[in-house]
Amino acid sequence: MRTCAGCSLRIEGEWEHCPLCGGALHGRAEPSPYPAVPLRFSRRRVLRVLMLSSLGVIVLSFLAQLLFGHEAESLGVLRSVWLGIATTWLVVLMAVSKRRNLAKFIVYLVVAAGGVNVYWDFLTQWSGWSLTYVLPILCSASIIGLLITVRLIRMELADYVVYSGLTVLLGLTPIVFLSLGWVGVALPSVICGALSIAVVVLLLTLRGGAVRHELATRLHL
Amino acid sequence: MKRRHWVRLDNVSNIFPAARSDVDPKVFRLGAEVDHEVDPALLQLALEETFERFPLYHAVLRRGVFWHYLQDSELQPEVTAETEQVCAPLYQADRRTLLFRVVHHRRRISLEVFHALSDGTGALWFLTDLLTAYTRRRFPGESPAADELAEQVRPGASERPDPPPAQIGTHPGAQAAEEVHELTTDSFAHYFRGRRRRRAPSSHEEDFTREAAPAVLTVEEAEDPEALQAAGGEDEVPPAPRPPRRRTHRVRGTRTPDNRTRALELSMPAAPVLGLAKAEGVALTMYLTALFFEAIRRTDEGALAGSTMAASVPVNLRQFFPSTSARNFFATIRVEHTFGEGDDSPGAVARGLQEAFSAEATPEALERRLHRLIRVERWPLARIVPRPIKDAMLSVINHVNNRSLTVAISNLGRVTLPAPAQSHVGRMQFHVSAVRPQFCVISHDGHLTIGFTSPYVETAHVREYARLLTAAGIEVSLAAARTTEEELAGVEP
Ligand SMILES: [Zn+2]
Repeated sequence: MRTCAGCSLRIEGEWEHCPLCGGALHGRAEPSPYPAVPLRFSRRRVLRVLMLSSLGVIVLSFLAQLLFGHEAESLGVLRSVWLGIATTWLVVLMAVSKRRNLAKFIVYLVVAAGGVNVYWDFLTQWSGWSLTYVLPILCSASIIGLLITVRLIRMELADYVVYSGLTVLLGLTPIVFLSLGWVGVALPSVICGALSIAVVVLLLTLRGGAVRHELATRLHL
Repeated sequence: MKRRHWVRLDNVSNIFPAARSDVDPKVFRLGAEVDHEVDPALLQLALEETFERFPLYHAVLRRGVFWHYLQDSELQPEVTAETEQVCAPLYQADRRTLLFRVVHHRRRISLEVFHALSDGTGALWFLTDLLTAYTRRRFPGESPAADELAEQVRPGASERPDPPPAQIGTHPGAQAAEEVHELTTDSFAHYFRGRRRRRAPSSHEEDFTREAAPAVLTVEEAEDPEALQAAGGEDEVPPAPRPPRRRTHRVRGTRTPDNRTRALELSMPAAPVLGLAKAEGVALTMYLTALFFEAIRRTDEGALAGSTMAASVPVNLRQFFPSTSARNFFATIRVEHTFGEGDDSPGAVARGLQEAFSAEATPEALERRLHRLIRVERWPLARIVPRPIKDAMLSVINHVNNRSLTVAISNLGRVTLPAPAQSHVGRMQFHVSAVRPQFCVISHDGHLTIGFTSPYVETAHVREYARLLTAAGIEVSLAAARTTEEELAGVEP
């Protein structure tokens, strides 16, 4: 075993210098009881910085649209491209940060994409296309997407029950808008609402006990 | 579809997921050095056997709206070669993983546990069983009565309390600081005679639910309702006003490059150190704490005369309130010393600390604390606060607590393992991830090991600590995990 004269210590492992005082060591080295673990710089921290700065840019680019007003016709194409890129980037960010729970990602996706579309509609003279077409289609697609995802990756019920519940609730919002009379054409909203109700009924009849158990767990006081 | 059993995390344990950070993942490590290169295949078999017996260790940690909760899982643990730093993070939100790991490197077997799952004593039960199962496989000839032994040891689960505190130490209150873990079948049988209720064989689910329950609620308080009443009533009396708290000296330093825990370990024969403590008339923990204060005073320019150093010392409540729970079951006692107001020699400091500690480590004082814990556990208002807010509050409490501490300490005391593990295990190790310098003590087979952890790269305080010991004629050897860029340069992983 090596020894450090300065500290009068025996030093285990193949150290060139004393880890405490930096002095030279004498004697034969023997293997260390600790492995040398290479430095690992936290990818998480890099991701977090990237994520926050991207979010900042996205929010700013959305807000900037307000400066241009409704009438700027020449801005039409440019604005669509701009908003399209920002939205895509937002979706990518969410996919990365929620990658461990696809059901959660779907909820975030619906809220974000729905929100952006309503805003977009508002920017372009508020003709109501977002509430009439985009929201119902988005919600229906997310419910179908959720069903496929759950089936394909064999997600555990506990993982998706809360978020699929939220997705279905979101699927009911077009019905609310319909009843408030904010929607021009009723059909998309009706289909979306019917789909949501069908899924709720399906979930409760097939997995009712498990759903109640999971909700009781999550909401336990 | 299987409905998994779950138990909500108690308030004491809640601090760990709430206060967890990149710097301090709230993980601790217990290790043992055997007399040969570890056989990973046999260790895996031993782990599987032990895992079966500890339903609590099947748990994953999940987040609800109001609570974190431990949920039963079907995950299986796997023994791995040690490739991560000491006390590497275990729990990550949204990732469903077991809350412990078993790693091996050369002659060492280490168990790392996320602190929300269990405390040092609880984890020691697991490690003890693991080492016993492993050595029984590795040295089959040495345990002729293996079957009989297994029958006797296997209490269905981790129902393996430590013996009541023995009469050790010379000072009143030395008991609480000086734990003894004699996990042999004898002491176990002795302790449990007449105490353990005969239970019908229970299912894994029932075992899980029972073992994951908060430890404070497992104490058999119904046995003595009057005591409960008395203690409860007493607690209503406002405590004596404390002297105003002085600003506590805190150690600062350079963070390690990738936020890993800086881990160093000093090992030495136990007897002469115990002799030193005894000569001062104090328990070992208090003596070692005083040495630590002295080491910091010698290295830290900020620690001038007049500065106050404080340490938190956990007390294993199982010693006073028999509980078979492997969950967190401890109370911490804060002791402090102000330099420059009298005799500052380590011996005198240790005596002062011992006095303060003994005053708080009495069964009566601890009983009051226990009942406070039980009350908090049942406090209705704590229930309706959503978990993120609770976590934020706990995180702040933790931060404020940290500000008033120079160092944290943990002493698992003297461990005795059942045969054949006892004869094949030499030194044991104990490390806890930390946001401030910390040291952990464990002794086995006459070897005393002090594990130093810190979020900083600086090692000067450990150098002074080692020099204090070697100056007293003790043979000390140092083992360190490479941490900085320079230390790791040119070294094969
Ligand atoms: Zn040295």
